[in-house]
Amino acid sequence: MTTDTATPPAATPPGAGQTAGAASSKSKRKRVPYLLLLPGGIWLIMFYVIPMIQLAGVSLQEGSFQTGYRFTWAWGNYSAAFTAFGGHFIRSILYAGTATLLALLIGYPLAYAIAFRGGRYRNLLLILVLMPFLTPFLLRTLAWKVILADSGWVVGVLQSIGIIAENGRLLATGWAGVAGITYNFLAFMTLPIYVSLEKIDPSLIEAAQDLYSNSRTAFRKVTLPLSRPGIVAGTLLTLIPASGDFVNAQLLGNPQQLMIGNVIDSRFLRIVDYPTAAALSFTLMVAILLIVIPYVRAVGTEDLVA
Amino acid sequence: MPDATTGEEARGSHEPLAVELSGVTKRFGDVVAVDDITLEIGENRFYALLGPSGCGKTTTLRMIGGFEDPDAGSIRLHGEDVTGLKPYQRPVNTVFQSYALFPHLNVFENVAFGLRRKKVPSAEVTERVGEMLDLVQLVGMDKRKPGQLSGGQRQRVALARALINHPRVLLLDEPLGALDLKLRKEMQIELKRIQNEVGITFVHVTHDQEEAMTMADTIAVMNEGRIERLGGPTEIYEDPRSAFVAGFLGASNLMQGDRKGNAATLQDGTTIALPEAGAAGVDGDIQLGVRPEKMSLQAPEAAPPGANSILATVVDVSFIGVSTHYLLRTSWGADLVVVVQNLDDERHAAGSSVAATWLPQHTFVVS
Ligand SMILES: Nc1ncnc2c1ncn2[C@@H]1O[C@H](COP(=O)(O)OP(=O)(O)OP(=O)(O)O)[C@@H](O)[C@H]1O
Ligand SMILES: [Mg+2]
Repeated sequence: MTTDTATPPAATPPGAGQTAGAASSKSKRKRVPYLLLLPGGIWLIMFYVIPMIQLAGVSLQEGSFQTGYRFTWAWGNYSAAFTAFGGHFIRSILYAGTATLLALLIGYPLAYAIAFRGGRYRNLLLILVLMPFLTPFLLRTLAWKVILADSGWVVGVLQSIGIIAENGRLLATGWAGVAGITYNFLAFMTLPIYVSLEKIDPSLIEAAQDLYSNSRTAFRKVTLPLSRPGIVAGTLLTLIPASGDFVNAQLLGNPQQLMIGNVIDSRFLRIVDYPTAAALSFTLMVAILLIVIPYVRAVGTEDLVA
Repeated sequence: MPDATTGEEARGSHEPLAVELSGVTKRFGDVVAVDDITLEIGENRFYALLGPSGCGKTTTLRMIGGFEDPDAGSIRLHGEDVTGLKPYQRPVNTVFQSYALFPHLNVFENVAFGLRRKKVPSAEVTERVGEMLDLVQLVGMDKRKPGQLSGGQRQRVALARALINHPRVLLLDEPLGALDLKLRKEMQIELKRIQNEVGITFVHVTHDQEEAMTMADTIAVMNEGRIERLGGPTEIYEDPRSAFVAGFLGASNLMQGDRKGNAATLQDGTTIALPEAGAAGVDGDIQLGVRPEKMSLQAPEAAPPGANSILATVVDVSFIGVSTHYLLRTSWGADLVVVVQNLDDERHAAGSSVAATWLPQHTFVVS
């Protein structure tokens, strides 16, 4: 390779016009990707970056709704918010994490069955997975309220087999909130996993079996690693929105054990304490990033790309 | 060996058999993919399953490998009945049609996959993978992912991944199908070399007759789920026995004739002598054939005595370089192709009358 440098560029004295033409077509080619980025970039700047900066500004303001807010680098908002609502943070992460795990445990076998055993019913089964999305989020969650009601059959059955106590209930407990989140985000878990499983060439599994793997080993050594991008995408698509969710906790969960999303919601819209709400939003964002970045690094998908 | 009591001994076969299929049938719905096939493949053979697309080659191979269960019949490997056993319970390995390399593993781990499953100690794995990469000439590629390899290199990895397990039979499903012509020729020689070196039975599926002829010592020609002809390359080329095999293995000139004993009469009354070996057979309407390269052209009056000869008119002449191809038309309107080596510059121009002649032993009769 190094010998190539021996042919000097000086050996070809370039005609001025020729290089100008070549250079302009080259720079045009270089500009195209940026031009393609432009619409999306403008959109992101207008509706994401600018509001984020504004929100960051708000989170450092002082004052009250009556007297107006002033920007004072009020870092104290953060520590105050975290002291007051630390429990909500931890609960949010816990609920969202549990729901993500449950959705994975339900969604993976579901996606696997559709991808490998669905046969000609595959598309029908996929539509069934998406079916709940045809009804509004709120309505679906309210329906769960009926299902989990104290007089409902679910509670009745669980009581009679002793899983919950005689006078125990499901509605207005943390578990009901987690169940609601799991249900509402199940499709976000199932679909990416299905896509990554569906892409797997069946002959890879046959090759594993040919090379002395039984079905279980073939799954562990081939199917599972190859479906990892789907698992990563599915868990992120569930975990991130679930951490900020407030509908499930409010409608199904224990009113004394709400999630951080409920606090932000009420600070913004009911108590009208913008700085605290903004500080909470930012803290949540950072907390999620602190969880997600190491996760993506650990189970990352780089080695699948090459 | 407790072989003394088994059927093979009774049949007087002394060569140990690597693979035996008896009466194997496989249906997919209404399609009979493999129709009552009986095959015996000896130890240390390069065996080719040759046939057109959809004739059931892959299905046959997959049944030997254990990926499909036959609807009828039994499969034995080295005398042991393996019908119904799972792929990982059979002493065979497969090189898949599309290679099926594991995309998430590098070359080393792909090749090591089988050994790892068998819990071979790590040091031995490293050593054996090294030897295998050496055998298939992929030294230094061990850290690459399959996606970073060329088609030929992937093919070698697939081969190494199967061979490292010392299978007693290696199954190859069109392993060279995805390669370009030049690489294919190289890999044919390479595969043959590796088979000689490791000394195990290769069962090689292909639809390329030239590939089968170059590499295999035994060829089974398949058609519509059945075996049409079985034998060594020369044997089945010289005496294809069926019009299908004659047409599939190279070109041939087929003619209708009326057989009487050791000779047949063509439509224009010409008498063609049949080979001694083909003497057994019923009289009446037959089809006989001769390969284009077995024929030569003379002026009509110069036909040598004792040779079979047909009078025809030259329709087209094409000079190929190593040979000249003549298209002839007989008096009853049939086309004949004759390939002549360019030994001298005696040419027959289009429109001239010639005698196409060949030796009686080069005639074959097809059913
Ligand atoms: N899984 C299957 N389901 C239904 N039909 C099948 C299946 N596998 C094969 N067949 C049918 O069985 C017949 C033989 O197929 P097979 O794959 O063995 O052919 P082949 O000789 O390997 O052809 P090719 O050279 O194209 O690979 C074909 O008609 C095919 O359509
Ligand atoms: Mg095939």
